[in-house]
Amino acid sequence: MVELDHSFQTGKPTDYNWDAILDLDRLIPCVQGGRVIERTSPTAAKAEIKVKMGAMSMTFTGTVEVVEQDDAAHRAVLKVKSREAGGQGHANADVVFAIDDGGGTIHTAAQITGKVASMGEGVVVSVLDGLIKDFTQRLQSI
Amino acid sequence: MPIPPGSYTLGPGDGTLLVRTGRTGAASKAGHDLVIEVTSWRATLELPGGAAERSVSLTADSRSLRVREGSGGMQSLDDDDKANIAQTIDDEVLKGAAIEFRSSSVEAGPDGTGLRVQGDLDLAGARRPVAFHLDAGADGRLTGSARIDQTDWGMKPYSALFGTLKVANEVEVAIDATLPAPRPDTEPTA
Repeated sequence: MVELDHSFQTGKPTDYNWDAILDLDRLIPCVQGGRVIERTSPTAAKAEIKVKMGAMSMTFTGTVEVVEQDDAAHRAVLKVKSREAGGQGHANADVVFAIDDGGGTIHTAAQITGKVASMGEGVVVSVLDGLIKDFTQRLQSI
Repeated sequence: MPIPPGSYTLGPGDGTLLVRTGRTGAASKAGHDLVIEVTSWRATLELPGGAAERSVSLTADSRSLRVREGSGGMQSLDDDDKANIAQTIDDEVLKGAAIEFRSSSVEAGPDGTGLRVQGDLDLAGARRPVAFHLDAGADGRLTGSARIDQTDWGMKPYSALFGTLKVANEVEVAIDATLPAPRPDTEPTA
């Protein structure tokens, strides 16, 4: 299990940020290489993320679901379950968003298996940290 | 051994011009060390006898780089991967800019063997000095290599995986060729 904490800034009010992170059609494409394949409910979607590794790339497909939503505290938990296309790897995560005026924080608890994990936890942490930092940059204009 | 005086022209038919790249970054294990062949190039060695000025020059087509080997990585490179890398080099690294080297100084190497060459290299739209040694074997084999720091030419080393996998800044450019016969019109007669 890898746990990481990040923050992000949007410069927009709390209500705007709260609606934005709960809108999976807007949120998922903020992950580099991420796209919604199909909305399965107002709070869930089938999605994929394509991670470029130089010449090669790995694609993870799975589901993203809002499993907890506290409208008063502006706190939501999104559960990501995915599997490497054509491989044996998995990338699962619980992502906790806490929203406030101007931005918010993200706590990520992830479990990665397969080829990426075989490179060691240090590599997983570095790549995941890079992915989430890139995500927070894109959230600035969500 | 000393290279006999004369004018020589070399190209892919005489040997190989290779670029070797390494990798760095936290996720460097995911990438590959590459051996890339420049498939279109032309080098000239003007080596008149006596005290006349010697010169070495090389031009290469930056769109002619082809990946020959990739070592390391989580899985081996297939032909599509190699083609993708060549395309990335064209689109994002060299961008079709001219590659040209012209010597400013060519001296005999230590003990009179080979050549010590200094000059300017045009690469990715910038011109910077570079120096290297050319060795000549008794069998006519000509070898030499230069180390290039990409950032010296204003290039940003390619990176992926959110910056955790990068091509090392320093790349090696190496020539390994068989010295052809000097051009007949320039062969010394006395």
